[in-house]
Amino acid sequence: MSSLDPRINRLDLVKTANAETISQHQHWETYEVFVQAKRGGHHTHVGSLHAADHDMALIFAKEQFARRGQCHNLWVVKTSDVFALDTEDADMFAENNEKKYRNPGGFKVSDKITAYKKSRKQDQTDNND
Amino acid sequence: MNTDAIKELIYKMGDDALILGHRNSEWTGIAPTLEEDISFSSIAQDQIGHALALYTILHESLGEPNPDMIGFARKEAAFKCSHLAELPGGEYDFSLIRHFLFDHAEMLRYRALAESSYKPLAQLAGKIIGELKYHILHANTWVRQLGNSTEEAKARLQSSLNVLMPYALGMFEPGPFEQTLEQEGVFIGEAALQTQWLVSIEAVIGQTALQMPDIKTLTPVFGGRYGYHTEYLNPLLDEMTEVFRIDESAEW
Amino acid sequence: MYGGGYIYDPEKKDQANIVEDPEKLAQFEAKIDSGEKIEPSDWMPFEYRRQLIRMIEQHAHSEIIGALPEGTWITRAPGFKRKMALIAKVQDEIGHGQLLYAAAETLGKPREQMLNDLMSGKSKYSNVFNYPAKTWADVTVIGFLIDAGAIINQLANSKGSYAPYCRALKRICAEESFHLKQGYEGFVYLATGTPTQRAMLQDAVNRWWPPIMHFFGPADKVSVHTEKLMRWQVKMDTNDNMRNEFLEQYVPKIWELGITVPDPNLRKNSETGRWEYTEPDWEEFFRVINGHGPCNKERLDVRKWVEESGRWVRQALFKTNEMYKMPLA
Repeated sequence: MSSLDPRINRLDLVKTANAETISQHQHWETYEVFVQAKRGGHHTHVGSLHAADHDMALIFAKEQFARRGQCHNLWVVKTSDVFALDTEDADMFAENNEKKYRNPGGFKVSDKITAYKKSRKQDQTDNND
Repeated sequence: MNTDAIKELIYKMGDDALILGHRNSEWTGIAPTLEEDISFSSIAQDQIGHALALYTILHESLGEPNPDMIGFARKEAAFKCSHLAELPGGEYDFSLIRHFLFDHAEMLRYRALAESSYKPLAQLAGKIIGELKYHILHANTWVRQLGNSTEEAKARLQSSLNVLMPYALGMFEPGPFEQTLEQEGVFIGEAALQTQWLVSIEAVIGQTALQMPDIKTLTPVFGGRYGYHTEYLNPLLDEMTEVFRIDESAEW
Repeated sequence: MYGGGYIYDPEKKDQANIVEDPEKLAQFEAKIDSGEKIEPSDWMPFEYRRQLIRMIEQHAHSEIIGALPEGTWITRAPGFKRKMALIAKVQDEIGHGQLLYAAAETLGKPREQMLNDLMSGKSKYSNVFNYPAKTWADVTVIGFLIDAGAIINQLANSKGSYAPYCRALKRICAEESFHLKQGYEGFVYLATGTPTQRAMLQDAVNRWWPPIMHFFGPADKVSVHTEKLMRWQVKMDTNDNMRNEFLEQYVPKIWELGITVPDPNLRKNSETGRWEYTEPDWEEFFRVINGHGPCNKERLDVRKWVEESGRWVRQALFKTNEMYKMPLA
């Protein structure tokens, strides 16, 4: 066979024409990649890759996830070392009306102040009478 | 400053970068894993980019033709690349060991050039040392890992190292202007570079099960810096310039 | 780059009868109807998972096989700019493959299995890549027109319901738009260049037009399995709509350069607002997808070479005690 690609013509395709099945893990484990775009920012999850260990994961992550655009730093974490809640349990995060005390909205004083000012005004008026 | 000496230095560096970058780019799309395909392609692109940057200095500061004409219109004998860069890519161990041997030399060469009295080279060095840091990290990681792994991998790496070492020594073939470059503070010279390089690669090889070839018994493969090349360069140039030559004055 | 609206699906009939829990199915569909995305650990119908794996996997294959026709010119690209840009573009395609295999893996099919199915022919890739890139002009036609088609398809898909696929497509689309610019520039340089360059380009357009018309998949009237996939937001638009949008956006750009398209019936119907064209040869399409195109064998042989020749590398760093874990997101 002659290819239009000179690179392909230099490969010994005949020798490898009967490729064996690739067994599980032949392409190694997966790692999750986190990119910190700027100093001072959070590391953000950007995807995953296959690597033999964390050193290789780092050199791969650098080119696959940071070859364009801004990157200040990278983390890789073995996927099996990441623990997550079940997305089916997202209702755990639901806003709860009884927990207003956790948010700034739970602390409103303007009504009190208005009422107080109003009553003082009334007192003064009463006294002047 | 002696511009002939500087041109000589830049031509050989640029030609090494272009020819080896071209060889390494042959892996884009067909490397051993997808992730490595991407990483090795970036290294190839960086190298071709270094060639372009060097040829741009030749063109803008030293009166030579434009970078495309330098890269794509010269004949074989005008090229000053080392034979190391010309050899076909072989199997992955071969390309990897060549990358390891070459990029360690590149890093040290540019570190030295960062102090060069010839400002355009010093500025370029400042720009690309970061890229070379990645090349070294990439090469060292692979060599350490594979060099401590299976018998097959170790045997492949060792055999590539043995085959490539005389060619790698050929990178340091003294040019006609070694003394001038040193005296004028342009470059530390090939002999000094080779000494640093040996320390640098031995440190990594020493962390693996691989044996460093005894370089006292080896004859460096010289000739490239003076325009004498392997049988592989001419076909490479023919291929690389196939489209360009259809019409050199056309814009592609 | 990617491969159009056609999802090859030989097993379709065997598994169409799986009965899903009606309550879970209703919740799932309500989630999609309200515009929420589905994450990997969510409950999803068997058929949804199966179709997504198939679709994302074939998309991934199309990227790594698509790297080969353009890769044909990597060592011959004329001049520094084209040389570096082409290497970077082919690199991006491999990168897209990497992202897409990871997205498909979140659904539970390991990369190794997907590659096995590619090599055995069980799983397909875009037909367009079974055609040869004969001259440098082919690189510009692929870069401009095939990538343009890919963007139309992928932008639609990026609004789909499966979150990891959408996330991957977001980045892929950004890179494709850049490829399109790069391809278009090369195309325009040839179209406005020397007579030799123009002739080279016209020849390439002539050869690539039929595969480009095939690219979005068979006409809606013969294409099956669209309705449920559209309801689940797996498939986001019909083949004919996407083909029409492609013609609408790009035919004028070809014509304005004085390059012709080899279809005497190609015209926009001013009443319907839709493009009319000679019906593509769908027999040829199926012949090629079933293995009888000009480059099918070479493409697969090269991928087999990649796996075989890289085996020692992967084997060297292979750890036997690993457990398979799907990538997270």
